[in-house]
Amino acid sequence: MSGRVVGRVISYVVLVLIGLAGIAPFVYLLILSFKSRIDVLTVPPDLHFDWSTIQENYRTVIHDQHYVTFVVNSIIVTGVSTLIALGLGVPAAYAFSRLRFRGADTWASTILSFRFMPPIAVAIPIFLMIRSLGLVDSQFGLILPYVAFSLPLVIWIMIGFFDEIPREIDESAMVDGLTRPLVLLRVLLPLARPGMLVAATFGVIFVWNEFLVGLYIVNSTDRETIPIAASSLLTVESPIDWNLAATVGILTVIPILIFSMVVQRYIVRGITAGAVR
Amino acid sequence: MTAVTANAPRPGRPARLAPPTQGRGEALLLLGPAALYLIAFSIYPLVTSLVRSFQDYNTTKNTWRWIGFRNYEDLFTSSEFWTVVKNTLILTTVGVAIQVVVGTALALFFNQNLRGSAIVRGILILPMLLTPIVVGLMWRALLNPEWGLLNWVAVELGFGYVGWLSDSHVALWTLVLVDSWQWTPFVFVVVYARLQALPQEVFEAGSVDGASWFQRTRMLTLPLLMPAIVFAAIFRGIDAFRTFDLVFGLTNGGPVQSTSTLSFEGFQNGFEFQRYGYASAVSYVMVIAAAIGITFLLRVVRVRRVDVAT
Repeated sequence: MSGRVVGRVISYVVLVLIGLAGIAPFVYLLILSFKSRIDVLTVPPDLHFDWSTIQENYRTVIHDQHYVTFVVNSIIVTGVSTLIALGLGVPAAYAFSRLRFRGADTWASTILSFRFMPPIAVAIPIFLMIRSLGLVDSQFGLILPYVAFSLPLVIWIMIGFFDEIPREIDESAMVDGLTRPLVLLRVLLPLARPGMLVAATFGVIFVWNEFLVGLYIVNSTDRETIPIAASSLLTVESPIDWNLAATVGILTVIPILIFSMVVQRYIVRGITAGAVR
Repeated sequence: MTAVTANAPRPGRPARLAPPTQGRGEALLLLGPAALYLIAFSIYPLVTSLVRSFQDYNTTKNTWRWIGFRNYEDLFTSSEFWTVVKNTLILTTVGVAIQVVVGTALALFFNQNLRGSAIVRGILILPMLLTPIVVGLMWRALLNPEWGLLNWVAVELGFGYVGWLSDSHVALWTLVLVDSWQWTPFVFVVVYARLQALPQEVFEAGSVDGASWFQRTRMLTLPLLMPAIVFAAIFRGIDAFRTFDLVFGLTNGGPVQSTSTLSFEGFQNGFEFQRYGYASAVSYVMVIAAAIGITFLLRVVRVRRVDVAT
């Protein structure tokens, strides 16, 4: 009996250690963001915090470094890209799930293989393209490639969800006189809502974090999204005020953390869809 | 690159009842916009990239000159390129292997359903959602040579000072470590979900037969989990192969290219040095390698309709 108790205790110790390993880097960054520039250098960091220093750090980042502008830009770019990707991707996924047409498999393979493509392979030509279209330093210049990157993801996720909806539902609606696009719009979209939420969740996370393509497309402060701004504020080489860098980091990830708590079940569903079936 | 879906027949689809032409208009209407979009912003750039890889870009005149296979020759004869290939392969093999083993172990551990484990599972999902640039920042703070917490711990425990990011023999392994911190949870989530979906009777039968936990895990649980493990490993492998953002955020490829990956090499040459032609050649080597790798993997393991997103 006591052996089992010991086992339990060990299990709980391991559980706590796993949790700590997951969250410690984040907490460490949070602590640094509460320190003055000098106090960062104290190892291990003492847990005495000064409210005025905290205010000072966050005020500096939020006001002097245009954090609010970046958040607004990020929300616009992420929202518009995700909506366009859903608008284009959902009908396409529906077609792949239901219709039999020549070249269907080739198209499906081509589109889905973009899920595997290294972004750098298109980043350079896309940058040159955006440049020749005169869209450098505009939000539209970011949205165009971001839609292209999220689209395969959306199509892939949605095919899975449409396949789960029985075809009889479409067929009976068509007997009632609806055309395919109307069936999709009126009958299937409400049924496919969880799928669209999963697809939107992953579209949002991808676009919110993206900076490889965006870094060179956008270069003025009032157009930058959070990660693009953060990557220029936090480059590896530049000497940085660590307390402010940490504050930028915390303010960058807080929106995505809140978002992911709200949509946690869609995240797990998206990651495991298909693997568990 | 082959699609995962292409070979596996999808359930519930009748075999060609209607002639292929029927529904063509509808297909065009539903699929057309997405197809056009991808032609413009994915296929066209990809083809351009191939053409550019045989050209040389003149930055001052903004002109392109055809130079045949010169970019590829330069590439294959540069020792830097092979270092980068080696780094990428280590990340994709050793890194992913660590993540698969630890992630699977975590899934087995969490299957005990300890009280409070839901909270820890919630925590474990977070690293893979974080903005990569911030992941780099967090770890550069933890690993800072002067005041970073990890070196303090290492010294206190008697391991002595470690040049996590400054020692060119260590930095790549630091990258593997941080990549594993961020992505082991992905393997965990996939494998754990599969584990939860398995019928519990199987395990009960096993324990009635007097098999130990270890025997049951090896003979029963792991084989049943294999599809999920393989699935996670393939997706992780593909993503690790194109690792870019962590390198950018953590090491910037250094010290002296010791942590640079193929994606990062392409990025640096393309965007920082404006050697667009050379960078295109680097990225095309990646495209071809990925295509071969994925085709080969799918032949060997035959994953059926998988869909996932990260």
